[in-house]
Amino acid sequence: MTTPANATHTLSIKDLHAEIAGKEILKGVSLEVKSDELAAIMGPNGSGKSTLAYCLMGHPKYKVTSGSARLDGQDLLALPVDRRAKLGLFLGFQYPQEISGLSMAKFLWTSYAQRHPGPDVDTSAFDANLSTHLGYLDMDNSWLKRSVNEGFSGGEKKRAEILQMATLEPIFAILDEPDSGLDIDAVRSVGETVSKVQKESPGMGVLVITHYQRILKYLNPDRVHVMVDGVVALSGGRDLAVELESRGYDWVKAPTSTS
Amino acid sequence: MAQTVTDFQPLDYTRYDFKDPETYKVRTAKGLSRQIVEQISKLKSEPAWMREYRLRAYDHFVERPMPDWGPDLSDIDFDAYTYYANPLAEGETKRSWEDLPPDIKNTFERLGIPKAEREFFGGVGAQYDSGTVYHKIREDLQKKGVIFTDTDTAVKEYPDIVRKYFGKIVPFNDNKFSALNSAVWSGGSFVYVPPGVDAGIPLQAYFRINAKNVGQFERTLIIADKGAKVHYIEGCLPAGEEVLVGDQLTPIEAIERGQPVLNSDGVETIVEKTMVRPFQGELINITPVSIGNRFSLTPDHPVLCIPRARVAWRPRPSGSLGDLKPGALLTASPEFVPAGELQPGDFLHYPINQTTRDDASLGEPELRILGYYLAEGCVQQINGYEAVTFTFHIEESEYVNELSRAIESVTGKKPWRTPQPQKHAITIGVYSKELHAFCLKHAGKYAAGKHLSKAVMELPPAKQRIVLEAYYNGDGNRYERFGTVYRVMTVSRQLAFQVQELQARQGIYATINVREPFDEAMPDGRRISHQRLYTVYYQVGKAAEAVHRSGDAFLVPIRGIERTPYEGNVYNFHVAGTNNTYLVKGFSVHNCTAPVYSTDSLHAAVVEVIAEPYAKVRYTTVQNWSKNVYNLVTKRAAAEEGALVEWVDGNMGSKVTMKYPSVFLKGRGSRADILSVAFASQGQIIDSGAKAVHLAPDTSSKIISKSIAIRGGQTSYRGLLRVAKGASGVKAAVRCDALLPDDSSRSDTYPYNEIHEEDATITHEAVVGKIGEEQIFYLMSRGLNESDAIHLILMGFLAEFAKELPMDYALELNRLIQLEMTGAVG
Repeated sequence: MTTPANATHTLSIKDLHAEIAGKEILKGVSLEVKSDELAAIMGPNGSGKSTLAYCLMGHPKYKVTSGSARLDGQDLLALPVDRRAKLGLFLGFQYPQEISGLSMAKFLWTSYAQRHPGPDVDTSAFDANLSTHLGYLDMDNSWLKRSVNEGFSGGEKKRAEILQMATLEPIFAILDEPDSGLDIDAVRSVGETVSKVQKESPGMGVLVITHYQRILKYLNPDRVHVMVDGVVALSGGRDLAVELESRGYDWVKAPTSTS
Repeated sequence: MAQTVTDFQPLDYTRYDFKDPETYKVRTAKGLSRQIVEQISKLKSEPAWMREYRLRAYDHFVERPMPDWGPDLSDIDFDAYTYYANPLAEGETKRSWEDLPPDIKNTFERLGIPKAEREFFGGVGAQYDSGTVYHKIREDLQKKGVIFTDTDTAVKEYPDIVRKYFGKIVPFNDNKFSALNSAVWSGGSFVYVPPGVDAGIPLQAYFRINAKNVGQFERTLIIADKGAKVHYIEGCLPAGEEVLVGDQLTPIEAIERGQPVLNSDGVETIVEKTMVRPFQGELINITPVSIGNRFSLTPDHPVLCIPRARVAWRPRPSGSLGDLKPGALLTASPEFVPAGELQPGDFLHYPINQTTRDDASLGEPELRILGYYLAEGCVQQINGYEAVTFTFHIEESEYVNELSRAIESVTGKKPWRTPQPQKHAITIGVYSKELHAFCLKHAGKYAAGKHLSKAVMELPPAKQRIVLEAYYNGDGNRYERFGTVYRVMTVSRQLAFQVQELQARQGIYATINVREPFDEAMPDGRRISHQRLYTVYYQVGKAAEAVHRSGDAFLVPIRGIERTPYEGNVYNFHVAGTNNTYLVKGFSVHNCTAPVYSTDSLHAAVVEVIAEPYAKVRYTTVQNWSKNVYNLVTKRAAAEEGALVEWVDGNMGSKVTMKYPSVFLKGRGSRADILSVAFASQGQIIDSGAKAVHLAPDTSSKIISKSIAIRGGQTSYRGLLRVAKGASGVKAAVRCDALLPDDSSRSDTYPYNEIHEEDATITHEAVVGKIGEEQIFYLMSRGLNESDAIHLILMGFLAEFAKELPMDYALELNRLIQLEMTGAVG
């Protein structure tokens, strides 16, 4: 029902340095993610997880000072934000913006048409997928009439981000703390939906940024990366997440500078 | 040498079916006087009471000063307008589209009125300048006793109702413009809905100002009797929203009668007459070998050319163009060929401008300075003093010395020199108020705004050569490619075309190429926006093979032809003399695309609405006047017991709008709902607002005002909320939201509250917002480009208003904002 299985795509980040307002946050992130895997980035507050997400998407406030980020060899950093999205990159925001008067339906359709341009955009496939995904997230059609994120509760905003991910069918979805501020049932709903959507879209890689292990229970990540002080300090399988949950982050040390 | 085009037979214009839009059966003399007022009344065969009313209003208009608040109206010259012009004979109002004169019919058909009439509306009226040209109401409504006609007819056919209500809600002495309207009013709608009747689907009227300097002063009177219900919609649309000029859609402002243009002999002539017609079909886009000179025409538009078939051997089987027969091109004379029949390889006629006017004040050193200024110069204020500076590469000392000498000889001052070794540059400059003014006058400022003055463009070619030399010294480069190529690059479109023209006068056909603008992301995350860049180049040694010189013209082959669909007005003009030709992008055509009206028009309407007890009236306006219209309208309603009046008022176009829809809540429990939207772009002032005057107990009002100002536009909200003594239990809410997407625009709020009852419940909110970077980033992360993102945010802001509009108006609003947003931010 979604994109047929394609060749595996690669998101490759090499020695990425970035700063905001003159303060260096990323100090040489290197990471490779495949589109057939679900990866998690964990780490303590201030370790640079969200900064990494923003830099990949191209937020104007973050300045990349060196390093590279490529999607299948294409230099992401050279592209404006909308071109990155058209190429298949998606960012699920931790704090999504409200846009008064713009209905979710129009927003989803407009975004979908950017991702799938051309005169033959299939509206019936769009509609069918949309109602399936609304069902996964326990959302009804009345959501579509509401203004984007306006008056949404914290949980509704998170679910709306997942709905967008499912609708747009990106190649790589980066989800920035999709579990923060959610109660346990909502965490499960979000986690299970992400997992389900990814299974149904074999060409879609997911990179979940989270502080806690609890959402990973529903996601079963293939890889877990730990960021500490602006670098990826440690990578492992899903067992690593469990270990972090019991031992905390303090024992993971940033490697000394490798440059 | 080729014949000149004046030898050809004049074209038969009837073939092109252009209509002069300014043919009126009845038209008063320009200006306003008691005699004109009497003449208007006499033309309409009005009863004495109306004539008296007009004259009293006129006297008041003369005495009444201009408003001393709000936007500046001092540019309005009341004597410059024609106060009455009717395309039909007096008293003639058409009831069938077929009977309308074709140009008017076309105009309104393009606006979709006949279709709207069939599908959405219970009745339709159309006003063209002062005259109501069409009015019709559906039979079923007529049977229910609903009256919908123009106000002139109503004065004759329903004198009792008109006399009872006319001028009672808006007296002539309310303000200067209501006095003007009361004196010279013409047309407008009269609606009467009998007790208990629901008119159901809306009644609609369209207003259009078509001629320049003709005022429009319609008078609308709407009466909903007890328990009746009606929705009236008025649309005010501009004369030819977009016009096609050369290769781009441009708002109406370029060419006027009396303006000089070049004809196909390269000789200056005067525009005698301008014409317009609506056009739907394919446009022919012609790209000559010089890509920058691309232009578009309607297919039947005659273009002066030499068809390749006449001068070349047959095309080769491979599909490439046939070689020219030796000498054939130079002896061939050009002919007019409809644009739709042109073929790639045909030779367009590019005449060399022959106009020469010497100007002794422009001597060699002055011209040399101008040339270097185009390339390297900058006018600035340094420590409060006017200065002109030039920055050269460190190795260009030869040019630096040459320029220094020129500056010294013109200003008498020795320019300073500041080396900038790290940039491999040297700056030279001089403090001189005179030189500063001279450079601005003759060469403009900022890279994209540089261009040469008319005086320089008309100098003898030998003098212009000095400017070109210095400009190429400063900015040009040369390289070898099948001979030596010289080129200059500029972001100023105008300068590129001027250089091409100057080169032509030197006997050189230079080609213009265009590099489209693009954004480049730098590795450090910055984004650099590259502007559209024009490259003007020519070749010596081996002349550019494709272009040939023939007499006083170049023959330039067509590289490609495309066809694109277009719907809109196309413009044409006649020029003086027997050679009725002019140039588009330098090429000779017989008629083309030129916009018309550029002088201000005046719209001063009065609308009176009476909602009798328990009646409901909604009045919707979507107003998009041309940006040369003063739109000064008085709209007021009276609501009796339990009645509801709703104003839905959208103000987009116009130069200045002053409009404050009001409701006088006279009966207990009556309600007012006023929703107004203002959208002001460059050069526009929209001063709008609302008034709710609570005169009875338990009345309520809700006012929502939304405004957007972009690109230096100004919006103001001016509101009055009055609760009179004795009006207890009043509820009133006012909300003003303004959105300013950029820093150059402005929005002001002037709320006036006069509350004389303590138990009134009043809320007032005012918010001025900006479009946040985070919002734009959010939308862009979903694949929208920046301008689409801003457009969606703006439309969201206006959604509350848009959802109250009929579909076609909502679409028009959307299209309009998209048009205005192009290039507004970033």
